[in-house]
Amino acid sequence: MFDPFALPFFQRGIVEILMLASVSGLLGVWIVLRGLAFYAHAVGTAAVPGLVLADGLGFSAIFGAFGAALVMAALIALLLRRRSVGGDSATALVLAGALALGVILASDVFGSQGSVDRLLFGSLLAIGTPELILAAVAALAAAVATAIFGPRWLAAGFTDRSGSSDSLLIALIALAAVAALAAVGALLATAILVVPAATTRLIIKRLPLWQLTTAALAAAEGAIGMTLAYQLNVPPGAAIAVLAGIVFALVAIAVLIHQRRPRLAPLALTLLGLSALAVAGCGSDDGGEASSSKITVAATTTQVGDLVREVGGDAVTVKQILTPNSEAHDYEPRPNDVGAVAASKIVFASGLGLDAWSTKLVKESGSEAEVVDLSSGLPVSYATGEGEVHADEKEGEAHADEKEGEAHADEKEAHGHGETDPHWWHDLTNLEAATTEVETALIAADPAAKDQITANADAYRATIKKVDKQIRACLNKVPANERLIVTDHDAFIYFTERYGVTSKGAAFPSTSTQGQASAGEVAALEKLIREAKVNAIFPESSLNPALAERIASDTGASSDYTLYGDTLGAADSPEGTVLGAEAANAKAMVAGMTGGKERCRIEP
Amino acid sequence: MIEWLLEPLSEPIVARSLAELALLGLVSGTLGCWIVLAGRSYSAESLAHSMLPGLVGAALLGLPLVLGGAIGLAVGASLIALVGRIKVLSSEIAVSVVITSLFGAGVLLGLAPATPAGLGGILFGDLLAVGFGEIALAAGYAAIVLAILFVLHQGLLATGFDRLNAKALGRSPAQLDLVLALLLAGATLVAVQALGNLLVVAMLIGPAASARLLTQRIGPMMMVAVAIAWVASLAGLYASYHAELAAGAAVTCALVVAFAAALLIRSLRELLASDTRRRSRGAQSRGLRLRSRRA
Repeated sequence: MFDPFALPFFQRGIVEILMLASVSGLLGVWIVLRGLAFYAHAVGTAAVPGLVLADGLGFSAIFGAFGAALVMAALIALLLRRRSVGGDSATALVLAGALALGVILASDVFGSQGSVDRLLFGSLLAIGTPELILAAVAALAAAVATAIFGPRWLAAGFTDRSGSSDSLLIALIALAAVAALAAVGALLATAILVVPAATTRLIIKRLPLWQLTTAALAAAEGAIGMTLAYQLNVPPGAAIAVLAGIVFALVAIAVLIHQRRPRLAPLALTLLGLSALAVAGCGSDDGGEASSSKITVAATTTQVGDLVREVGGDAVTVKQILTPNSEAHDYEPRPNDVGAVAASKIVFASGLGLDAWSTKLVKESGSEAEVVDLSSGLPVSYATGEGEVHADEKEGEAHADEKEGEAHADEKEAHGHGETDPHWWHDLTNLEAATTEVETALIAADPAAKDQITANADAYRATIKKVDKQIRACLNKVPANERLIVTDHDAFIYFTERYGVTSKGAAFPSTSTQGQASAGEVAALEKLIREAKVNAIFPESSLNPALAERIASDTGASSDYTLYGDTLGAADSPEGTVLGAEAANAKAMVAGMTGGKERCRIEP
Repeated sequence: MIEWLLEPLSEPIVARSLAELALLGLVSGTLGCWIVLAGRSYSAESLAHSMLPGLVGAALLGLPLVLGGAIGLAVGASLIALVGRIKVLSSEIAVSVVITSLFGAGVLLGLAPATPAGLGGILFGDLLAVGFGEIALAAGYAAIVLAILFVLHQGLLATGFDRLNAKALGRSPAQLDLVLALLLAGATLVAVQALGNLLVVAMLIGPAASARLLTQRIGPMMMVAVAIAWVASLAGLYASYHAELAAGAAVTCALVVAFAAALLIRSLRELLASDTRRRSRGAQSRGLRLRSRRA
């Protein structure tokens, strides 16, 4: 791995965290003194509905977060003035209301959305120029306000909690929490805003000194947390939170020893020294990578990774970015991914918005890798959620095989209607076409390995054809009018359309953890399952299956079968390859539709 | 109209959710009042986050998830109590420091390659996925909470309202804190995996905070709180059924609306009270002060 300080995104991260540290020094002491820690936590978390709104309406996330935080701040400032309402209860309820609004917006207004989860824990790669500007503004505002209102806040800290300077403090904390979103995340903003000031409070009581030490401690913890986040490939918010917690514990124990047994001062000093070490001493684990003559390419999703490995074989090294079971839609790239892309000659992407983050990765790595979007030349494609075909299927074979004659031949030319469903690999003709694209790209990058790559690609295309036939034969064991599936994630249109399966409903309105189903939708779905006499419903492997199980037990349908929709199975399992996963999907569907009576063998 | 009201209740999904919410309403109306009075809302909101390292640890070691969650809660609650004893820091700061560190550790642990996917999703349970097992658990827990609160009622009264004098009466506020912390941790363990943290927080805090605005005495406060919890649950589920809104979020919104309504009633009452007081006391000092300020 190469020197992090040479990377622009890491430099931005360090600058950002240093500015946030000065905010932490200036405002953290007021938060600790005035008992505003819960508010500081809540105002960052309440930014979530703003993020959902920004994502849904397509404006900048930072404005959404800031707007939501300001509304939250105004409401809480109003409620804090009323003696009859406990400040903490009011904060909890305003927060709950804001989050509930976020869930409703995500599930019922905008349907599917993605980029919310990534701002919960912070991300090095999420720090751009707007975030830097916001942090600078927050630092400047905090400095000016402290200079003017500091004495008044100090006096108020011990008596009343109302007055105009208080509202200003509340607004400033809102600004600081939003500024901290990108670097440390909504759920861990307290790691930089509260914990450093609480730590120094254990030792220092006087104000200007307390603020200075807090800023210094926050800067040290932040910078080292960022470096650790880079080296260990984790979100910076989590690294900073754990580091700050350890330092707090060590300082607290040292102070305790010092108070109880002044004679043990050396031990206390040792502990303080240790906490300094915890801040300063962090091993680096640079692993040199053996270079060889093979070319290195990157693949974004598990499916693309498998495809490129099949075609490249021994001729290429594949760096796959997503791991099995991670959500492709809202993945937030991590520092290692930048390294992987920087070392690659080609980046293979799945496309259609599934891995839109890949362009950002290429940009951040400064590499000149060619990005190959495998979705660009697909023979078959469907609009999201519609089931409309706007395909020009090259081979007539797809239709010839469908003897049962299901008339889903309402293949309209539906170009431009909404977005295209990104789960294209579930139609194996698409996989074949993608194989050819990978083949062409790899040969162009490494002409010397042409023979090997062509042989691999030919073999893989033959296997795809074989598996495709076997899947069709397998599903044909079930009469066409009984080929019904109910799945909780509408990712299977390519599969269901190709093999004449009818898909009924999706219990989850949205694909992320932010989304929730409504009682009305689920009741309607249960009615549908009972009336259509569906034998099995299929929870998807990467989603929480509790609701699907509940629906199954209500309707008497089985939910024991799992489908692989967005992700493949574990790398060393049979479902760890695209063909293995599709075979498993076919087997699960047939077993589910027939109540386990019909089973088939599919051997890639 | 009657059909509009009855139709949702005949759906098993709605009936089960309502049963779970009704039982949790009993807990929230009673335990919630003490949490709100003791100013423990931050704990109630954040304690569930301390489950994360426990859950991930249990998953990595192959232990039952419930055990991991329980250990996480126990560690979180006792660390909060421990840090809360540091005199220069308020109990709120203690919550912030402990929860931030534990949650950060949970996120880090969760990135280990061996961690199964969707563990964090446990914190976002779904109201509609509630089954009879969860309902039985909630019923059992509601019975335990009611029994403990009934037995300890006098002691809680003495310490709950007057922490300084409680010591003189021979009762320690630390006891109250411990009981509340344990009951809160139990409620989190029982309810969060079924309902999700958001709804649990709204249920625990909302009805009690609303009732506190309407009445001062603890007995009526608890009854009003339970009533508010039940009405809001029903209203939220109707909205979720007829308007097709996300279920847990709809109930949460109903609870927040109830709080806003209570706030409005309280404001109107205060307005009326100050009005009549001014009229009846005429030239008395308070009225004079009010008028002179207006003038």
